[in-house]
Amino acid sequence: MDYSGMLKTEELQINIGPQHPSTHGVFRMLVTVDGETVTDLKPIFGYLHRNHEQIAEVNTYLQNMPYTDRLDYFNAMANNHAYALAVEKLAGIEVPERAEYLRVLMVELTRILNHAGALGFLINDMGAWQTQLAFAMREREKILDLFESVSGARLMCNYFRFGGVARDLPPDFMPRLKDLLVAMPAFVDEMERLLRENEILLQRSEGIGILPKDLALAYSVTGPVLRGSGVAYDIRRAEPYSIYDRLDFDIPVGSVGDVYDRILVRIEEIRQSKRIIEQVVAQLPDAQGGHINPKARQNVRPPVGDAYARVESPKGELGFYLVSDGSVKPYRYKVRAPSFINLTPLGDMCRGYKVADMVVIFGSIDIVMGEVDR
Amino acid sequence: MTIETQRGSVIVMDRRRGKLRAGQGLLQGLKVVWDHWAGSFRTNDNFSKIHGTFTVEYPDERLPMPQAYRNMPVLLFDDESGHELCTGCYQCQRICPPQVIHITQAKDPVTGKMVPAATEFIIEYDACMSCGFCAEVCPFDSIKMDHVYELSTADRPALTVHKAQLNRPISYYTGIAPDLWADAQAGAMKKLQGSIKRRPDVIGLASSLTEKIKARRLELAAAAAAAPASAMPAPAAPAAPAAKLTPEEKAAKLAAMKAAKQAGGAPAPAEAPAAPAAELSPADAKAAKLAAIKAANAAKQAGAAPAEAPVELSPADAKAAKLAAIKAANAAKQAGAAPAPVEVPAAAPPLDAKAAKLAAIKAANAAKKAAEQGNSE
Repeated sequence: MDYSGMLKTEELQINIGPQHPSTHGVFRMLVTVDGETVTDLKPIFGYLHRNHEQIAEVNTYLQNMPYTDRLDYFNAMANNHAYALAVEKLAGIEVPERAEYLRVLMVELTRILNHAGALGFLINDMGAWQTQLAFAMREREKILDLFESVSGARLMCNYFRFGGVARDLPPDFMPRLKDLLVAMPAFVDEMERLLRENEILLQRSEGIGILPKDLALAYSVTGPVLRGSGVAYDIRRAEPYSIYDRLDFDIPVGSVGDVYDRILVRIEEIRQSKRIIEQVVAQLPDAQGGHINPKARQNVRPPVGDAYARVESPKGELGFYLVSDGSVKPYRYKVRAPSFINLTPLGDMCRGYKVADMVVIFGSIDIVMGEVDR
Repeated sequence: MTIETQRGSVIVMDRRRGKLRAGQGLLQGLKVVWDHWAGSFRTNDNFSKIHGTFTVEYPDERLPMPQAYRNMPVLLFDDESGHELCTGCYQCQRICPPQVIHITQAKDPVTGKMVPAATEFIIEYDACMSCGFCAEVCPFDSIKMDHVYELSTADRPALTVHKAQLNRPISYYTGIAPDLWADAQAGAMKKLQGSIKRRPDVIGLASSLTEKIKARRLELAAAAAAAPASAMPAPAAPAAPAAKLTPEEKAAKLAAMKAAKQAGGAPAPAEAPAAPAAELSPADAKAAKLAAIKAANAAKQAGAAPAEAPVELSPADAKAAKLAAIKAANAAKQAGAAPAPVEVPAAAPPLDAKAAKLAAIKAANAAKKAAEQGNSE
């Protein structure tokens, strides 16, 4: 940087967080600033460490299911899905077709509410205090109502079981879902009208926090952040699990890799999720089997071995690595959390931008601290 | 730009779609905000609309909860019979991820065998994670998830909830989740009938239903009075047929005998609690047994001490023995007095009380004798 003609200032190290409204939880950033410019940023994790993986090793396989809800508490359904897939892979449990459809339905609803919420919080970080967030939250509320009616809880759903899901849809679920699908395009269009090409938003997001393609790949970033950088990588396509090989959907990618691209990718993903849900609703009546494999039991005792299963959670690749020693408890339980890995390039993304941009860049990654620290 | 893939395509997002003039984007956004503001004067109860308020004035109005809603677990009991559905099978305690359920299984006071009921059932509400596994695994449909969500309290110990507070009638659950109960009802009630058959005395009755418990006690007493009338010899009869003695009476007799023996071999009248009184209620019997054991122990002490050190027996021992005897007598008296049978058919219970009293007095006497012997030596 050319400092000639500028006031010479000293570099200053400041802590942002761990308690700070912009950090979406307890997260600390050790920022070196030169005036208003960030010259270095070190993310420091661990303030929300809850010993999740060790707790999982003293629990039985099923007892871990409600604990996975508490990883990324915005997307309990997606966490359940990844964990259920891992155990099913390990123990060789079959899932009936109808249960697969129900799972995909729930996970795609989760994706909608996650992206709506993430964009709301991002706009919040930019200074449009609560406007978009309030609109996003009320759509999220409708989805949470659906979750509540089917699983019994709004956030900590604990809905998935090995070999299916906990219970079938209640009778009033489908009519409400169909109403929601009517509302969804209006909601997304309205969100686009509010955000897209809004001059203030453009100034805050265009060209900010650029994460080049090669750097994103080097950091093994996944999810909307990677797709925003222009890499068309989606596990639902790259390694189709469940019934995703039967569903049509597009993968939106960005071209520059800045905050604005990430916003656009998320908006488009809401549309694609809605498209998937429509296909699921159409195919669900023909699906074979019940909501759970009748042979699946509560106490699974997988054979000795290990398994890794991954899903495209709304935030990126969520994987569970399990090692079984043949007992009812996992010998090793490891979570590959997208929030955690997406957060690692934060220093590179923020270098050279202003402090105010840093908050926006951080918000655009869309993290949940419960998943970062575990 | 799009790249076609097998089922769908890769779309590169268009960064500048509209050709807007400066400021138009802002105005467009303002219009959205305006629409929402204008819409906020209407109420919206339809999922397909995105404008309008759908909130309720919370403390005054409440949204209905879906049937599947789960908050905290409760235990059900049957309205008609008053019996709890729980059999204390430990399934929920085993599956509970945070391990907050603690069950004590009921035991038959007569035989000491397990009874399909729980005497105590504790859930630590403060550590419960509301996962609903307990309700899911319960084979008797006894534990269900409640819909009450206003649980905040300043009294944290009160969040360790005991069985009496967990009990809810089935009618309460059908009120909050009619469909879910309809699915479970047939199986649950059938299993409950099976459990009731194996529950002696008043075990398994919800403790809040004092009327039901009283009625059941009466019923039991009446049944007992009616049945063994023939097997009721005069209280004086010294040697009742041994076969007709209940285990409690046997134990009491044995204890009394032992006490007598220990007390120095004095031929204490062995026909101790002779009167069979087959309907001796368990509580009474227990108390009597306890008294007898206490007396025996005391006598043992008093008796054993002189054998080893006959000369310098401290008066303290003797005192202790006396005290024990008094206690035993009191306990026996209480046992006799407790079920003060006011409204009971006059025939049976006085006999109970009498028999228990007799046993206790005899035991006390034996103990006293032992003490006296200790003193004289």
